[in-house]
Amino acid sequence: MNDRQRFHATMHYQPRDRSPLYDFSFWDETLPAWHDQGLPRSVDRSNASRYFGLDRSLGAPEPEYCGTGVRSGLCPWFESRILEDDGDIYTEVQGDGVIVRKQRSSVSIPMHVGHTLVDRESWNKHYKPRLDPNHPDRIPADWEQRVAHWRDENRTHPIFIDCGSLFGWIRDWMGLENVAMVVYDDPAWFEEMVETIANLQIANLTRILATGARFESANMWEDMCYNAGPLLSPAHFKQFLVPHYRSITELLNRHGVDIVWVDCDGKIDDLIPLWLEAGVNTMFPIEIGTWGADPIRYRREYGKDLRMMGGFDKHILATSKQAIRDEVKRLAPLVEEGGFIGFADHRVPPDVPFEHYVYYCRCAREIWGRNTNLPPMQADAGAA
Amino acid sequence: MSQMQALCDAIQTGNRNEAKRLTQEAIDAGLNPQDILDKGLVPGMYAIGEKFKRNEAFVPEMLIAARAMKEAMAILEPHLVKAGIQPKYRVVIGTVQGDLHDIGKNLVAMMWKGANFGVIDLGTNVPPDKFVAAAREHDAHIIGLSALLTTTMPAMKETVAKVRAAGLDKVKVMVGGAPITREFADEIGADGFAPDAATAVDVALRLVA
Repeated sequence: MNDRQRFHATMHYQPRDRSPLYDFSFWDETLPAWHDQGLPRSVDRSNASRYFGLDRSLGAPEPEYCGTGVRSGLCPWFESRILEDDGDIYTEVQGDGVIVRKQRSSVSIPMHVGHTLVDRESWNKHYKPRLDPNHPDRIPADWEQRVAHWRDENRTHPIFIDCGSLFGWIRDWMGLENVAMVVYDDPAWFEEMVETIANLQIANLTRILATGARFESANMWEDMCYNAGPLLSPAHFKQFLVPHYRSITELLNRHGVDIVWVDCDGKIDDLIPLWLEAGVNTMFPIEIGTWGADPIRYRREYGKDLRMMGGFDKHILATSKQAIRDEVKRLAPLVEEGGFIGFADHRVPPDVPFEHYVYYCRCAREIWGRNTNLPPMQADAGAA
Repeated sequence: MSQMQALCDAIQTGNRNEAKRLTQEAIDAGLNPQDILDKGLVPGMYAIGEKFKRNEAFVPEMLIAARAMKEAMAILEPHLVKAGIQPKYRVVIGTVQGDLHDIGKNLVAMMWKGANFGVIDLGTNVPPDKFVAAAREHDAHIIGLSALLTTTMPAMKETVAKVRAAGLDKVKVMVGGAPITREFADEIGADGFAPDAATAVDVALRLVA
């Protein structure tokens, strides 16, 4: 089987030679730390999955995986520029119009210090025009070649279509506190923003799916949960978001795309049933966190309707080889059953020893990958 | 429904206009400012915190309640000052050194203000010495440390050690944040841990009792 067939079979609980072996990439600090522990300096985020003997990375720039090349978000971007630079910490206007404070010595989520989107006027002036589905820059210059590639029946890798974000983008553009107020102070405007984004996704998807190409999955990004639960109440989620998710997923389903995943960190328990109701059937990446998420428990609660990715607690990678092997084995029945692709539940942090990560990959190849039809593991020929 | 119960309801539902109106009405009626605070505003924030802990309210509901409280307090504050009434307890809060994340810290600060703690917010990326200096300057009862990143958790340990070394014996240290567990809090010698912003009020009240 090739990766495309394997992904499809796994997510549809069909027979397959083995599970796909993916990763979700690394913190920026991780690979440099590992370079000092024996990782060859030629290995970076773009080629690490190959070095570690995995099929692909879902978190590193691999354009053939990252979708269609059609721009699903703001178009054009805002002009990005640095406002203040204090060495390690600097303040910049990002391409999404958000003013953030960042730290060069650490990545992760930057601190918001200001927003371009503050009211209806700024929405109409700066954001709504950038969400026009007909902006010519949305379509990549090599559209014809891409369409041919999407439609190629001999294509060996899956392609995931990007369907944007109904809440996460607005939350980013306004900040959590401001969007929370808008939900109560001006729900009609909040609804308008969600609907504008949904309509953009539908227009994009209509154009892409009309080519007759078959895609393996569609993906959305929300990041709308934290360690205590969702950032929006389930009632508001159902009122404002579910109808628009459903419009998007129904369109996808009509064109044979029946795996739709949402990227959402944090404690997602309250939202899982609502996403399922809306046709979003795959949670990515199940993050274990301090709130005790567990893909085995979720499967017990939701059955095969719920597909999952991730679900291996990244913090275990920092503990011991025995703990790593135990956890890979614990998740093995779920991998065997299908509808689940295991990997470290979020980007691997720098406190994980290089040697441990190599060991984790060996275990995943052996237990989840059945030592069958695996890509070569360059790490086994190296220092680790 | 009593006037104070109506004010409490206005706060917990985030009805800021009603909260302001009822606060002004209570002042005009000659009610004791301390009673308006203790029987109307603070119970409103307590009620929304309890709903949050029971998963009946979420971050937006807490935020609009806090906004209503803040706007009502703007009306009440001059009367509290005039009567010489100050918050009984003072807390210093910040995100530890190396960490720029502030949403969790802001939520806790908001809930502490809602419980009528005097809150000194040091912001993000706060060095241990700054926590110590602020606690000393404001004669704080509690220092609250927040972190989002696993990589900045060691800064919490360092800060707790600095507080202890500074001899601030009566100052309790509370920790919280997405990667923080009770076990970690115990391990670094913190006095308290809260898994969410609403529980942070309970823990703080317990520590100062």
